[in-house]
Amino acid sequence: MKRARIAYQGSAVWTELVDNDSALRLGNGEIIPAADAQWLAPVTPGASIFALGLNYADHVKELGFKTKEPPLIFLKGANTLVGHLGTTVRPDDANQMHPECELVAIIGKPARHVTADKALEHVGGYTIACDYAIREYLENYYRPNLRVKNRDATTPLGPWIVDAADIPDPQALRLRTLVNGNTVQNGTTADMVLDVAGLIAYLSETMTLLPGDMILTGTPQGVHFCAAGDEVICEIEGIGRLVNRLVAEPKP
Amino acid sequence: MIAGNIYGVVLNDRPQLVRMAGDFAMPPYKKPPEAPVLYIKTRNCLACDGSDIVLDADLAQVEPAATLGLLFGRPAIKTSRENALDCVAGICLALDISESEDSYYRPTVRQRCRDGFLPLGKFGAFDPEILKASIGTSVNGMAVHAWSSERLARDAATLIADVSSFMTLAAGDLLLIGLPHDAPRARPGDRVQVDCAGLSPLAIRFKSIGTA
Repeated sequence: MKRARIAYQGSAVWTELVDNDSALRLGNGEIIPAADAQWLAPVTPGASIFALGLNYADHVKELGFKTKEPPLIFLKGANTLVGHLGTTVRPDDANQMHPECELVAIIGKPARHVTADKALEHVGGYTIACDYAIREYLENYYRPNLRVKNRDATTPLGPWIVDAADIPDPQALRLRTLVNGNTVQNGTTADMVLDVAGLIAYLSETMTLLPGDMILTGTPQGVHFCAAGDEVICEIEGIGRLVNRLVAEPKP
Repeated sequence: MIAGNIYGVVLNDRPQLVRMAGDFAMPPYKKPPEAPVLYIKTRNCLACDGSDIVLDADLAQVEPAATLGLLFGRPAIKTSRENALDCVAGICLALDISESEDSYYRPTVRQRCRDGFLPLGKFGAFDPEILKASIGTSVNGMAVHAWSSERLARDAATLIADVSSFMTLAAGDLLLIGLPHDAPRARPGDRVQVDCAGLSPLAIRFKSIGTA
C-alpha cells in the first residue's frame, strides 16, 4: 500500500493510493484524482529526521573523503521538507547547489537496542528524499552545517510512503536523479556503507527511535550543479518518482 | 511539550572563543566559524523537571550545561536584530546534556541526542530582563557553576537575526541560546539543579541503568 499526505479542503490529510496510483482515497471513502492532489511531505509532525553523509562508497571517493567510521549522521528540521511537485529556492550565489537522491526509511514501531537482524521489523515504510546541498555554504564546524542542510524547503520528500511489506529488500533498489531529463545520479542501494538495518541498530544503541522518525540514508555519486528553472526528479525502484523545480530567489 | 524543532548553538561563549582562537586557524577548521554553529535536539531528548535521567552503561559521566530556551510565538524569517525578540513568546531553563566533546568538526548526534538529554523547566512568559540574570547550577546541593548570557558572543537578538537569515525559526520552535564551555560534569546518582531569577528551577537526577 502507498499512503500520501495531501492538503485537502483546508486540512492536511493522509490518503491511500488506488487505481494504479491514479487516484487517492480519503479517510471518508471519497476518491479524488491524483492529478488534483496538492502533495505534502509525508511526515508525522514532530518526527526526528536523521540524515547520512558519506554513506555510499562511490560518493565518498568522488568527494575525496575516506569512509567514516563511525557513520556521519546529522539532523534536519521539519522546515526543510517540501512535498512532491513543490519548489525549492536556489539562492543567487549558490552556484554549487546539487541534488542528492536518497532512500528514506520511516520507523514504524519504537526501536531501542535493536540488533541489525531484527531492525527491519521496526521499519513502517519507505519514501524518497532529494536532499539538496549547497557547497558554497559549507563550513568546517558540525559539517555539514545547518546553513547548508537546514534551509527551508530544500528537502523534497515523497510523493508517498510505500509500506515496508512491499519492499522486501531495501538494499536492492536502483535510484537515480534526472535534471531536465538528463541522468546525473544512477546508483543502487546495494552500495550503502551502512545499510538500513545497520543504521537502525546503530542509532537505537543510544536513543529511542519513534514511529514516524525518518532516516535519509545517503546518496550515491553524481554531483551535478543546478540552475534556477531546472526540473529535478529523484526516482527509486519500487517507490516512485519525486519531482521538484528549482526557482530563483524572490526579489522584494 | 514542544511542537516544533529544537535548535541549539555551540561556540557562542566568548571565553571559549578566546581560548580556541588558535585552534580555529588549524585543521580541520582552517578558519573561524562565520554562521552560528547550530545543532538539533531530537524529541527523545525531552524530559521535564523532576525527571530521572537514565544513563547507559557506557557513560561514566556527562556534561549538563545550563542554558535558556526561547520559545517562538511567531516565526522569525530574515528578522532584524531590532525585531528579533518580538518573535519570542516563552522562556524556560534547560539542561543541555551531552557527552564531553573536544571536536566541533562533525555533528555530534550520538553525543547530544540520547534519551532524556534535554530536561526543560516550566515555561514562563518571555521577559528580556531574564536574559540578564545569572544561571546557577548545583550538583548534590553544592553550587558548582554560574554564568549568564553576558558571556554570549551573539546575544539572543543577534543569534535569532543571524539564524533567521538562512532558515525560519517557526512558531513552536525552541532555541537554546548557548552553552558554557566550562559546564560541570555529573555521574549516575548525582542530583543537578539549575536556578535563574524569574524562572522556575529545574532539577533532575542521573541514574545508571538498572538502579531504582
